Amino acid sequence: MPKIDPLEARAALRDVVPVILAIMPFGAVYGTVAIDSGLTMAQTLGLSGIVYAGASQLVALQMIGLSAPVWSIVLVVFALNFRHVLYSASVGRHLSRFTATQKAAAFFLLADPTFGAAEARANGGVLTRSYYFVYGLLLYVFWLVATLAGAVFGSALGDTRALALDFILPAYFLTFLMSFRARPQFWPVVLWSLATSGLVYVTVGSPWHVTIGAFGGILYAALRAPDAPSEAGIAGEGERV
Amino acid sequence: MSDLDLWLIILGGGLLTYLTRIGGHLLIARIGALPPRLEAALNAVPAAVITTIVAPVVVSGTWAERLSILACGLLCLWLPGIVVVLLGTAFVAVARSQGF
Repeated sequence: MPKIDPLEARAALRDVVPVILAIMPFGAVYGTVAIDSGLTMAQTLGLSGIVYAGASQLVALQMIGLSAPVWSIVLVVFALNFRHVLYSASVGRHLSRFTATQKAAAFFLLADPTFGAAEARANGGVLTRSYYFVYGLLLYVFWLVATLAGAVFGSALGDTRALALDFILPAYFLTFLMSFRARPQFWPVVLWSLATSGLVYVTVGSPWHVTIGAFGGILYAALRAPDAPSEAGIAGEGERV
Repeated sequence: MSDLDLWLIILGGGLLTYLTRIGGHLLIARIGALPPRLEAALNAVPAAVITTIVAPVVVSGTWAERLSILACGLLCLWLPGIVVVLLGTAFVAVARSQGF
């Protein structure tokens, strides 16, 4: 491990602390819901530590609660996290000074805020290893800390239906959804997904409303694709982890 | 759901997620740029998938839940996400305690 540049580390710390404060409640909600969904402590932490993508973790819990088939849950996690392909393609250009092993580790830590911070840092000059890893590792560790806090203390809450904890996920996903509203084709994509998903939900049932429903919106976007690729609408939005 | 199933979800989901995180870089290194239709489809994935998670509440939720989800959609234009989630959830909890 090369030594850490203290100035770069301090800049990373300054940038990551507000983000950590913002994601902690969501990590805690995830931990609470995970234990409530019947996951063990190891599984709860495992999903946070191995998948490390908050929205997809919560969707997985939702589908586990519905007893959806394993393959369909894995597929939906994959689909939901597919946006990382865009992050990876973009951030990869700024990692030329990283060794192959460092790149492999850096991509593991490539969550939404890490992507945003790395892009912003690269815009202002050079993205250093010290900056990237201090930022990325702190965010990762505190995502696990928040998960643990939710898993330990959340179970002390009691009757989760009376507290409407089952409503936290749809409400959270709606606010998450709205964070993408600046993207091209946002409203038609949402309406096509909603219509397809609603129809599948009342006819075929769960979990097909997720897998088939999403295709309604994705297909629309692919068919309506502009001729020129756009640079807008990728950075600085999306989920917290 | 069995322990094995849950670990399959964790490891399978983790492996595929890692592939998305490293895949874009590997892909760009090979082909140069993404075709516009593929990029448009990728751009639409988050909104399309997340909508389907909210859809059941809209289609078959109680009226208190529907009202709350609608209010959440409007409120998050002005308030931070976590505040909106807590307000919306509190509203549903109160509505349920009143028998709605």
